[in-house]
Amino acid sequence: MREKLRTITQLLRNAFGRSIGILLSILAAVMVGSIIMLIEGQNPLEIYWLLIKGALGSQRGLLISLQRATPLIFTAIASTLAFRTGVFNVGVEGQFFIGAICGAFVGYAVKLPMLIHLPLTLAAGFFGGALWAFFPTIMRQKLGVSEIITTIMTNYIATFLISYLTNYPLRHTPTTPETPPVQPTAQLAQFVELSEGTFGKGTQAHVGIFIALLVVIVMYIIFKRTRIGYEWRMVGLSFPFSEFGGINLDRTFIGGMLVSGGIAGLGGAVEILGVWREYKDLFAAGFGFRGNLAALLGGQNVIGSTIAALFYGGMEAGALGLEWSAGVPRQLIDIVVGLIIFFMAAEGMWAFVRRIKWVRGSRAVHRTTEDLEV
Amino acid sequence: MTTAVEMLGIRKVFPGVVANDNVNLSVEEGEIHALIGENGAGKSTLMNVLFGLHHPEAGVIKIRGKEVHIRKNADAIALGIGMVHQKFKLVPSFTVAENITLGSEPRHRGIFLDRKAVHDNVMEISRRFGLQISPDARIQDLPVGVQQRVEILKALYRQADILILDEPTAVLTPKETRDLFGVIRSLVANGKTVIFITHKLREVMEISDRVTAMRDGKVVGVTKTTETNPTQLARMMVGRDVLLRVTKTEAQPKDVVLQIRDLHVFDDRNLKAVQGVSFDVRAGEILGIAGVEGNGQRELVEAIVGLRPAWNGEIQVKAQNLTTLNIRQRREVGVSCVPEDRYVRGVALPASIEDNLIVNNYFKPPIAQGPLLKPDVIARHAQELIETFDVRTPSKDVPAYALSGGNLQKVVLARELSAQPDLFIAAQPTRGLDIGSIEFVHRRIVEARDRGAAVLLVSAELEEIMSLSDRIVVLYEGKIMGAIEGARATEEGLGLWMAGITSEGSPEAAGH
Repeated sequence: MREKLRTITQLLRNAFGRSIGILLSILAAVMVGSIIMLIEGQNPLEIYWLLIKGALGSQRGLLISLQRATPLIFTAIASTLAFRTGVFNVGVEGQFFIGAICGAFVGYAVKLPMLIHLPLTLAAGFFGGALWAFFPTIMRQKLGVSEIITTIMTNYIATFLISYLTNYPLRHTPTTPETPPVQPTAQLAQFVELSEGTFGKGTQAHVGIFIALLVVIVMYIIFKRTRIGYEWRMVGLSFPFSEFGGINLDRTFIGGMLVSGGIAGLGGAVEILGVWREYKDLFAAGFGFRGNLAALLGGQNVIGSTIAALFYGGMEAGALGLEWSAGVPRQLIDIVVGLIIFFMAAEGMWAFVRRIKWVRGSRAVHRTTEDLEV
Repeated sequence: MTTAVEMLGIRKVFPGVVANDNVNLSVEEGEIHALIGENGAGKSTLMNVLFGLHHPEAGVIKIRGKEVHIRKNADAIALGIGMVHQKFKLVPSFTVAENITLGSEPRHRGIFLDRKAVHDNVMEISRRFGLQISPDARIQDLPVGVQQRVEILKALYRQADILILDEPTAVLTPKETRDLFGVIRSLVANGKTVIFITHKLREVMEISDRVTAMRDGKVVGVTKTTETNPTQLARMMVGRDVLLRVTKTEAQPKDVVLQIRDLHVFDDRNLKAVQGVSFDVRAGEILGIAGVEGNGQRELVEAIVGLRPAWNGEIQVKAQNLTTLNIRQRREVGVSCVPEDRYVRGVALPASIEDNLIVNNYFKPPIAQGPLLKPDVIARHAQELIETFDVRTPSKDVPAYALSGGNLQKVVLARELSAQPDLFIAAQPTRGLDIGSIEFVHRRIVEARDRGAAVLLVSAELEEIMSLSDRIVVLYEGKIMGAIEGARATEEGLGLWMAGITSEGSPEAAGH
């Protein structure tokens, strides 16, 4: 009983400690950010207030936050899945863009009724991303090359490949490197279109957010309730244990990476079909990297990463509003966002150190009290 | 006789646990004092306090009757205290002499290492205490027993009068243990005082003059060795009566379950670790594989389980060839295994106990239905195993790292035995466990045999091999040195085989 109580209080303390830590890191970032703003001659209180108001203060702000968060949810979940199987998939960035170009291509080149066309286009995004994850995965499994290096490299290849595609074979207009527009049958409706202008005016928020949330739910269930999810978790927690237990390491690992790449690619397609409706060369870089970060901040679990992605989206939306309304340079906000992430990552380190201490402490506790009762 | 060491009211607290609670220890000059207790009883903490590695919250230490303040390790060494740790602290590429003098080398004109003085000093000490050693040999080329001798010399070189030996026999063969005891006796004859940490009662009885027993951070008894017996000491350590000898009935061997023929296996360095081994294990018997660690046992087990390819030869279980099957397929044929590195392969430390318990059956009914897991079945499965195997844990959801070594091993046992294996392999199943847990593990192994499993027990502990096995084979450098019935084996005979010495003639000849 005493043991039980001790564990419960310990767990509570850990959870509490973690949220306190996150709060403290935000506070620290806000303070350092304030100093920078004061130097810049701005009023920090006002800016922060506008930041929050911009993200959450209006229907429009909220919808922009959602729209900004949508692609990040995909890339954050993709990174989380890879992290959980024990890999750092830095290639989420490239997989996202390959998925986007595949989605754009099937979106404009194919003529089919929406009921078939839209799913087909989304599937093209998924498989594009999965294919892009396949090469580094195979190189790691068969040749032992670190996936961190190969996925970074495939990011560059993706960027240049797409640059080539949008400049030459898939180019639509002579003036700009972009693909032809996606057929209406493959577009994801924006809320403003669905409501004929009554809801979500001035935003590009689209129904893709529901696909993102569906992915979150499905991944949550897969991790908790399925054989493949168990395999992913165990392989990520301990290679030698999983091998000894009879889990097929190659299959689990390759499967995990392919699905991770697929989710990133699906995110790319959703972004194209919902917001851009055509592929502009380098339409927006960094979705993948921010997804990696969100996954780290979210503690590498599905729900935490989703929350971190939403938070990230909100910050961006707020920053956007600030630039418009207060004339504050966007870069100033980017610095504050960067600081928050910096401090939170540091907090993550503290959580790690605490856990290690706890592991040692609890071992000592059990050694002295429990073994003797055996 | 004067008192060499006196520790009074020592209290040492680690976060959340009192490791030493008002501990008193008194060691006479020139005696061999055994300090016994289970893992976590606080023996090592107490000795680390004496050696200046931990700082007690309260308490007084007197050395040769004078109160001292040991603030750091160097203080302890200056007071003539030396300690030989379980894990040696030697530089493998240095010679014996260099290791011994490292940190307090004789200097030539203050700067240069005086190699001749180093050599001579070491020769002098080793002669004085009868510790034969070649000062110019490199540590990496020496057997474990000799390395330990270097550690002892290191302490003596630093003028230690009081030597602490932390579980010195854990890594030694029986012969090396006997040699060590010889060394200890000669040390005491030369006026040294020895504190000997152990939980092996036989050794306590053999070597020590007096015993201090600890339990739960407290001293629970101090006695002269001549006035006690192993049963009484075990009761002191554990706090209840303990069966030191496994009770088991005569084996009822049936059909051959595991058949190994001319097996060759390579180790990680691509050297042949198992060389042409053949043996059978029948249902209902325990075959013990004895041998000093590193003589091919690990590779043998890994080849049977499927973690390592067999380069040549046959492995059959129930007349089925295993060599072409993967690990899961072998498990499905009926192979279960308690692996020797339980913290690495036996469990996933950060995973919950529940998850740790299903790695061998999560993919099939009743745990899974199609691709889906059934959480209620998994929870019940975990709860049942926790109860039947008496795993002491607050809940099935705590991570494995929160468990003690004994309870962790119970989780592994529970999982591997719940599969009702036809072949059950137990590799070093009680290493590092305390008496209570050892008793439990042994009982389960015998139960598996009585249920009709073929049991392959691999252990470096001769006592364990002898008390459990129905038949014994000894591995030496990847080959079988000999085989003998458990009842006819003697420690001396097995010890000779373990050292690679073949006696002429029949197995019984080795039994003398």
